[in-house]
This record gives sequence, structure tokens and C-alpha cells, in this order.
Amino acid sequence: MTPIDRRRFLGSGAAAAGLASLGLPLRSALAQSGEIVIGAAPPITGVFAFAGAGLHAGLGDWVEWKNGQGGIAGRKLRYVAEDSSYKVDQSVAIFKKIVAQYKPPLFYGDSTGWAKAIAPELSQLGSVLATGPSFASDLADPAKAPYYFMPGPTYSGQIEVLLEYVSRSAAGAAKPAVAFVYSDTEFGRDPIASGKAKAAKLGIPVVLEVVTKPGAVDVSAEVIKLRRAKPDFVIFHGYVLAPIPEFMRQMRDAGMNARGMGTIYTMDKTTIDQMGAAGAGFLGVMPYRYSFDTEKTPTMALIREVGSRKPNNPWQTTFYTQGWLVGMIFEQVLGRTLGAKKELTGPNMKAALESIGKWDTGGIFGVPIALKTHSIPVGRVYLVKGSTIVPNSDWITIG
Amino acid sequence: MSGAIDWLLLAEFSLVGLLSGGVLALIALGFVLVYKGTRVINFALGEFMMVGAYLFWTANVFLALPWWAALALTLAGVAALGALVERFVLRPLAGQPVISIVMATIGLGAVLHGLAEAVWGGANLSLPELLPRKPLLLGEILLPGQVLWSFALAVALIAAFTAYFRWSKDGVSMRAAASDPVTAYAMGIDVRRTQRLTWMFAGVTGAVAGIIVASMTSLSPSLGTVALGVLAVVILGGLDSIAGAIVAGLIVGLLESLTVAFVGGQARDLVPYLVVLVILMVRPYGLFGTRDIERL
Repeated sequence: MTPIDRRRFLGSGAAAAGLASLGLPLRSALAQSGEIVIGAAPPITGVFAFAGAGLHAGLGDWVEWKNGQGGIAGRKLRYVAEDSSYKVDQSVAIFKKIVAQYKPPLFYGDSTGWAKAIAPELSQLGSVLATGPSFASDLADPAKAPYYFMPGPTYSGQIEVLLEYVSRSAAGAAKPAVAFVYSDTEFGRDPIASGKAKAAKLGIPVVLEVVTKPGAVDVSAEVIKLRRAKPDFVIFHGYVLAPIPEFMRQMRDAGMNARGMGTIYTMDKTTIDQMGAAGAGFLGVMPYRYSFDTEKTPTMALIREVGSRKPNNPWQTTFYTQGWLVGMIFEQVLGRTLGAKKELTGPNMKAALESIGKWDTGGIFGVPIALKTHSIPVGRVYLVKGSTIVPNSDWITIG
Repeated sequence: MSGAIDWLLLAEFSLVGLLSGGVLALIALGFVLVYKGTRVINFALGEFMMVGAYLFWTANVFLALPWWAALALTLAGVAALGALVERFVLRPLAGQPVISIVMATIGLGAVLHGLAEAVWGGANLSLPELLPRKPLLLGEILLPGQVLWSFALAVALIAAFTAYFRWSKDGVSMRAAASDPVTAYAMGIDVRRTQRLTWMFAGVTGAVAGIIVASMTSLSPSLGTVALGVLAVVILGGLDSIAGAIVAGLIVGLLESLTVAFVGGQARDLVPYLVVLVILMVRPYGLFGTRDIERL
């Protein structure tokens, strides 16, 4: 082994330091000119797996399709995803790993817990714009979470859409009465205070609030309370499926005519199908157009064409549509930022996101949308009719 | 609101609560059977419920067998599972500290949960409605059909087990082996066989409870967590008392219902277990449990 003298050691150290100092701008420059990485931590397994596979496939297929079209501003996209199992520690670890390894300007997470955990880091990094399938109301706040947005209305917004529908369904001067049934979780409680305020504003009497565990076994006592409160509409939130079907069945058994209403994660057809007969006549808010909507639109036709190329691809689900929509929003952000010859930094991408207004999604939403509030305050009420789900209102813009 | 309506409300919630306690008592019976027979708290009971419900779904919905054939296959399946667990998990641990056996049942629960997720996936499945739903109207009081029938089923099963332990030869052998295994062995009772039977019966009660619970809600691997909530019922009744399981099930059902009525759903879990805690401070061995006396 050749002995290293002091001069050679210092010289090589200086050379290494010089290379390192050159390396940072070089890597930054590559990030601004090479392929664009989109990171993701989709919940492909775990309790949110029913949605996670569709979310992952939707965004993944959109990236593939977009690359087939030549990418964005001449740059190819690369989708780097790892299953989070819907565990916050795991999705946070995946986020940190992908950010450290690939420096993605855009990231698709998996939950409210994840979004809240990484919000301070997003602000500190100032280089990543993130989104996820959570519609927690306090995440749609450009001041507190400047680098986070959601691909739909907040849970509060969804309840507002339902209340608007209830208000518009009034036959006379008296507004129909509603009851809120929600899970004793952060998810369940999220829109209740604002929902009650909105109901008061619209003159809708809230005759009962029922709090349950998610998936509660026995709801007999709760149904007794509902029967005595006599609501016209029962709004369920904070659940995916159970115990909504049992509520609906027991309400029918008790001779109640109240209509059940749900929010986005109850309203996918795969979940509604599991309600069986209990789902008949169920109403709910869905911000997106269903894949089986009879009105033909270009984006839904494209989703069908691309999604159906692969076997067992869940392209018919609203989760897939959400993943695809996230890709389309990413395209808008990237296109607007790069089109203005700006670097893909957090502030630049945030400005691009907030500049999206009167944007036609090609049919996913039936009206032009804006992302100024970092959410999309639009939804439509659907009705479960036979074996399908049909629109039961116009597209309602709230806020 | 007039006083008369208040009394009606109280009567309605009380009746529904007592009837709902039937399913709690049935789940509690699964814990009691194993504890009575082997002195082990089976933390995997919830997973036995879940596996039973999945087997029933597979036979009845997936294979489209009639409900009675599906039920027979399910009960045979969980009984076999109970026997396998006794032979390959519990018997090798005979003579080991109780904590080791408890940990083994917790581990077994995790394995069954993981296996169920691997075989049937994590999605919610629906079981067909098995019990009649027509409610019973007593004036203004409405008793939901499935609550009424699940109570009747639980009472019938508990009565059948009580009769079996009281009058059948195997039942008497099981009681003898549970009470004093060494003397029972000396008297010619096959203690291993009685312990195997205990686990098989616990599996069967768990499966029936699992099918009832899943048909009222939905079926997913998380169904097993229901049983852990019933553990307080078992402790209140006394770990080794079938009568205790029934009474405690009814008490907790009643308390849960009255809590929903007069306090609110968020306190549903809290108030009944506060009452359980107070009762246990006075009777630490439960309402009907055997009072162990240790002399030094």
C-alpha cells in the first residue's frame, strides 16, 4: 500500500470537497431537466386496501399513458411507489426514503395521519407538493399546509353538498329534518360542527346526533333513538360500510321512511354492492363521475380505454378515477410551472396549483373546477337505484 | 316529554339492551368453556369467531351450499381447528407458566388473522341474513327481530351446553377433569380427550357467535376484535362460571343500551366498564367466579 503524505492527503481532500460542491447544483440541475419522479405510498394492503389498489393503478396507468404521449414539456415521468399498508409510520418512512433517493417534486400519500405527520416536513423542504386520499377539512388550508392539496371536496364540503340537496328537496316552506350518525373517530367527527352550522344557515333542523364506534356490532339502541327523532334524512359519516347497512335494515324494519345518505368512501359501487337490499334508495355525495355514467365524456372514455387494457384492473372504481385525476392535476402543476420556465420548487408549484381555475377535467367533474383553496369544492348527489347508481342532482359547487 | 313516555323509553331501551346481551353472553361462553376446562384465557377466541364466519361465507355464499349444510361444515371445520390448536399449540405447553400459554393464544390469534387476510383478503364481505328480521311490537315498544332471535339462539345454545355438562357422561368427565385433573386421571378419565373436547366446543360457540355478529354487520378480518370487548363481561361474571357469563352479558347489554339512551354513544364503552370496575373492586373474582383461597 502506498503511504499517503500530508500534501497528497490535503490535495485529495480538496478535490473531493470541490467535486461535492459541484455535485449539489449538478443533481439539482438534473432534477430540473431529467425525468420527473412522482413518489407514492399507496395503501395496497391493510384496512384501506379496498381503495388502495385502485388509487395506485389509476395514477400508475396515467403516468404510463402520459409517457406514451411524450411526457410533460418533453420530460418523461417516473412513478415510484411502495405499499404503505395504511400504516402511518410506514407511509412516513416511504415518503422520507423516496424523497431522499429520488427527489420527487410530487408525492401521493395514503391517509390523514400521513398528511398531518408530513405537513411540517413539506413546509420545511419546500420542494415537494403532496396530495392523498384524505379529505380532512383542516388539511385544505393553504396557510397551514401550503404544499398539500386534496383531489376533491373536504368532508365538510361533502356534508354541505348533501345539506344543499336536502334544502332543495323541501316541498314547502318547512325544511326536511336530518340526523347525523357518525363514528367516534377523527374521520367521523371532522365535518359535524360545520355541518350543524350549515344546517342552521339553511334552516334545516338537526333532530339527532348519534355517535357510534366504527363497525359497531349492535345498533339497536341507536335505531330506537332515530325512530323517535323522526328525521327525514340520516347522514352517515366516518364509516366505509359497517354499520351503515345494519342501520338501514333496522330503520326499514322499524317502519322508518328516512333516507340514508353517505359520503365519498361509502359511495363507491363496490361498497354499495355489499349493502345488498339495504342499499336500495341510499343517497350519497360523490365528487367524481362514475365509470358507468350514461353521459359520455372524453376523460371517462380514456380511462375506460387505458384501464381496460390490463386484466383485473380496477378501472371501474372511483378510486381509480381519483388516482387518474391526481395525475391530471400533477400535469397541470408541472405544465404551468415548466411552461413559465420556473424550477419545480414548492412555492412555484403551489402558485401553479392555485392558478388552476375554470379547468375542464374532460368529464370527471361535470363543471369546471378550481384548486385555489387546495381542494375541489364540487360534488353531486347520487341515488342507488336497483343494481346501479344514478345522478340525483346537478353538480353542486359549495363554499 | 311526559313521565309516561319516559317510562316507555326506559322500558324499550332496557328490553333491547337485555336482548342484545344474549350475543355477549354467547361470546363470553366461549371464554368460560376454555377457562373452565383448561385454566387458559383464550385470547384467540375472536379469531375463532372470524374463521367460523369466513368458513360459513365460503360454504354458503361462495360454494352456494344451503345454510344448514354450510353451518354443519363450518362447525365441523372450527371443531377440527379447536382440536388441532389443543394438540399442537396447547398440549406442548402443558406445565409451562400461564403467561407462556396466554402469549401462545395471542400469537395464535395473530396467525389466524394473518391467514384469514391472506386467504379471503381484507375487504368487507356480506353474509346472508339468517335470522328473521320481523320486529315484535309491544304497544309502542319495538323489539328488532334479529336481536330477539339472536337472543333466543344464544339462550338455546347456552342451555344445551349447561345440560350437556350437567347430564352427559362426557360433560361430567369434562367437569371432573377441569376441577381436579390429577384425580380425574386416576379415576380413568381421559383428561387429554376432555381438554380437546373443550377447545372443540369453544370453537363451535365462537363460530356461531361469529356468524351471528357477521350477519348483523359485515365480515372482515377485524371481526375478531369484537371478542376482546367481551372479556370484561367474562371477568365480571367470573371466569369459570357459565351462569356468570349469562348474567354479566345481560348486565353489560343493559348498561350499554341505557348509556346510548341517556348519555350518548361516545360513552357506550365507558359507562358499562366503569360499573364493571366498581363491581370487581367489591368482588374481585367476579359475580359468580370461584373464590381462590391461597394458604401459605
